[in-house]
Amino acid sequence: MTLSFKRASALVLVALFAMGPLVLFMSSAHAATKSPFQTTRKNAGTPNSSQVTVDPTTGSITSYGNDAIMYSSPSPALAALGQALYQQNCASCHGNAADGVAADGTSGAYPNLVGLGPATIDFWIESGRMPAANPRSVQAARRVARLNHNQALAVTAWINSLSPSYPGVPSVNLTSGNVADGAALFALNCAACHTIEGSGDALALGTYAPSLRNIPATQVAEAIRTGPGNMPRFTGNLSDYQVRDIVKFVTTKIEHPQNPGGLGLGGLGPVAEGFIGLALGVGLLALVGFWVGERQ
Amino acid sequence: MSTEVVNTARAKKQAMGPYGTVGKVLGELDDRLGVAKGGRSFLDKIFPDHWSFMLGEIALYSFVVLLATGIFLTLYYIPSQAIVTYHGAYLPLDGQRVTEAFASSVDLSFAVRAGLLMRQMHHWACDIFVGAIVVHMARVFFTGAFRKPRELNWTIGTTLLILAIVNGFLGYSLPDDLVSGTGIRIAYSIILSIPLVGTYLGFLVFGGNFPGTAIIPRFFMLHVLLVPAIIVGLVTFHLILLVRQKHTQFPGEGRTEKNVVGSPMYPVFMAKTTGFLLIVAGVTALLGAFAQINPIWQFGPYDAARISYAVQPDWYMGFLDGALRVFPAWSFHGFGYTIPLEVTIPAVLFPGLVFNLAFAWPALERKFTKDHAMHHLLDRPSNRPKRTAAGVALLANLLMLFIASSTDVIANFFHLSLNSVLWAMRILVVLSPFIAYPITYKIAKEIQLLKGGGKRKTANVVSRTAEGEYVATPSPVYVDDLHHELAATEVPTFIEPSVDVPTDGGVRTVTR
Repeated sequence: MTLSFKRASALVLVALFAMGPLVLFMSSAHAATKSPFQTTRKNAGTPNSSQVTVDPTTGSITSYGNDAIMYSSPSPALAALGQALYQQNCASCHGNAADGVAADGTSGAYPNLVGLGPATIDFWIESGRMPAANPRSVQAARRVARLNHNQALAVTAWINSLSPSYPGVPSVNLTSGNVADGAALFALNCAACHTIEGSGDALALGTYAPSLRNIPATQVAEAIRTGPGNMPRFTGNLSDYQVRDIVKFVTTKIEHPQNPGGLGLGGLGPVAEGFIGLALGVGLLALVGFWVGERQ
Repeated sequence: MSTEVVNTARAKKQAMGPYGTVGKVLGELDDRLGVAKGGRSFLDKIFPDHWSFMLGEIALYSFVVLLATGIFLTLYYIPSQAIVTYHGAYLPLDGQRVTEAFASSVDLSFAVRAGLLMRQMHHWACDIFVGAIVVHMARVFFTGAFRKPRELNWTIGTTLLILAIVNGFLGYSLPDDLVSGTGIRIAYSIILSIPLVGTYLGFLVFGGNFPGTAIIPRFFMLHVLLVPAIIVGLVTFHLILLVRQKHTQFPGEGRTEKNVVGSPMYPVFMAKTTGFLLIVAGVTALLGAFAQINPIWQFGPYDAARISYAVQPDWYMGFLDGALRVFPAWSFHGFGYTIPLEVTIPAVLFPGLVFNLAFAWPALERKFTKDHAMHHLLDRPSNRPKRTAAGVALLANLLMLFIASSTDVIANFFHLSLNSVLWAMRILVVLSPFIAYPITYKIAKEIQLLKGGGKRKTANVVSRTAEGEYVATPSPVYVDDLHHELAATEVPTFIEPSVDVPTDGGVRTVTR
């Protein structure tokens, strides 16, 4: 009896060990199907919101933030229009339920949109990157948006209604904000890819950091908070006040640099300068020498 | 009252002699210093007129512009890494803590009258200075002007190129902005990568670990005092040797190894060269006024924690940056030491090899051609196909490395993958000399066979004789292609001319 008890308990232990990973696997598979990646207010990087508005009927947060940035979810009233627009413009890739479609076995090519938060959806549509011109390209390029502002908000409202999440669409208060602090934060956090002049540059394997000129304030804040594509998502390490300063710097001083000294030569730095120095400087002077000297 | 009145202006002028005040001053000087003898031969000095001999003058005169604008900059620049809070005209920096060097450079650009113009002229003049040295050096190389007896001047010239590059880098670093600080960081890493002594050398140069607070004052001393002093000395020696050994000339009618054919120092060459000085200064001023260079205020202050992308050095350092970019990430770890070969080979060994090859070239050529004769007549590049091809091969390689220093800009501009651009540049860097050499060699050989190479082609007039025979006769050479001699000029005779001055033309011939 003792022997069979020992054997039975050993069997149970082995079975438990064997089932452990299976349970984990089951639970993860369960999570993947039932509750997609969801951004909460906490991981959206805005833990200290001083102003929070709650919808009294549904109990969900419609807007939160402070005097620097207010994040708001688009009105649920737009959701019906949004669903129609989604079916026309987005569903062929992202699926009718916005839960993503595997593309020829390439996982993540057409990602699940549920739970990404209004700021993400709004950014991709309003920057013209979605609907993508070429869904197979390494990185969707910025272009003239196909959907207008209200249509983009409507699509955002519908996708957010599937599973309300964060961050909301930011509205940056640019009347306050310190350009100098923004410049310092920009040099520390952004210049490594976008260059210190905000011209953008190529990154590895066909990806690139786009130019930051002529970008609306809302999209700059959305990009910082949501990290589109290769860009890191700046959440806990930048407060709303710091994000506002960066946005103010990008939309004022990157856009209209205080820049004396003649033609800027495309902000390409020493590449353009060397070209001008050699072609216009040395070349022109050599031509003068050719003019002054004998040619025989 | 028949005594002549001698105090009228005309009478005074006549009493001065035919050369007026100038002649009198020179006469007084000659009485004391004996300037007439040397001055006579100096004013009669013959310089050949070919346009390519003016390239070195671009370098000389841009150096003059560098000295003049540089003196202005030292009046306002503060070589200190002490931290101050910037409060000035450039708003995005207001209230930021920056070094005094950076703050003074920004103030120099925004608050000092003509400060930005002077800074930009200084920077443009530097780009032109190094560029003109390279072009001048290429002229000397491809025409064989470095051959005996001018090897020493070639060596001085190569040293001047290295010093110009070094001083350009030092000056580029002085504003202590984000981009140049990154350059200093790379320079520090290159010093560290030298086996055995790298760490000690790095600490010696920087007065401790990077970045420290000593490097800007030290670079300042080197940039405005030590290196310019050496450059001025070597340029002087370069020119004294040029005068002493007399200028080379291209072969042509009446030109031999024994003579120099050209225009005299006074007045023809002096007028040309003074005009050229003013044109060089003028072009530099135009660039400084209308083309922005190195907008340090946009870059912000250097801080070891910050970095900007799309950072390139000035063009003359480009080949080093390119070499660093394309070299594979190899390094040696063993016996408790690390040798970062990916830095040592492209940034220490490679430039060392290139410059030592330049220094050694005259000796190598003597050894391989067994040509130990004196040469005052230049080669047409096509007549020395191997030398020309070798020079073009090296230049092609350096050009590819230079282009490789902007892989990211190319990738971004043409919407290409950075990785494919990098690989393309790796292949081009390795292949370019092997492609350039045979092509150049072949072209040179072909040009040798051409008659009247370098001249415009003239039409062949085909006429038919009464018998029906067709005869092709070449039409005369274009008038522009005929060599026009300069008009004869009267040589002032302060003392008797030491050489026979022919009166048939302004172009004179003197024996060496």
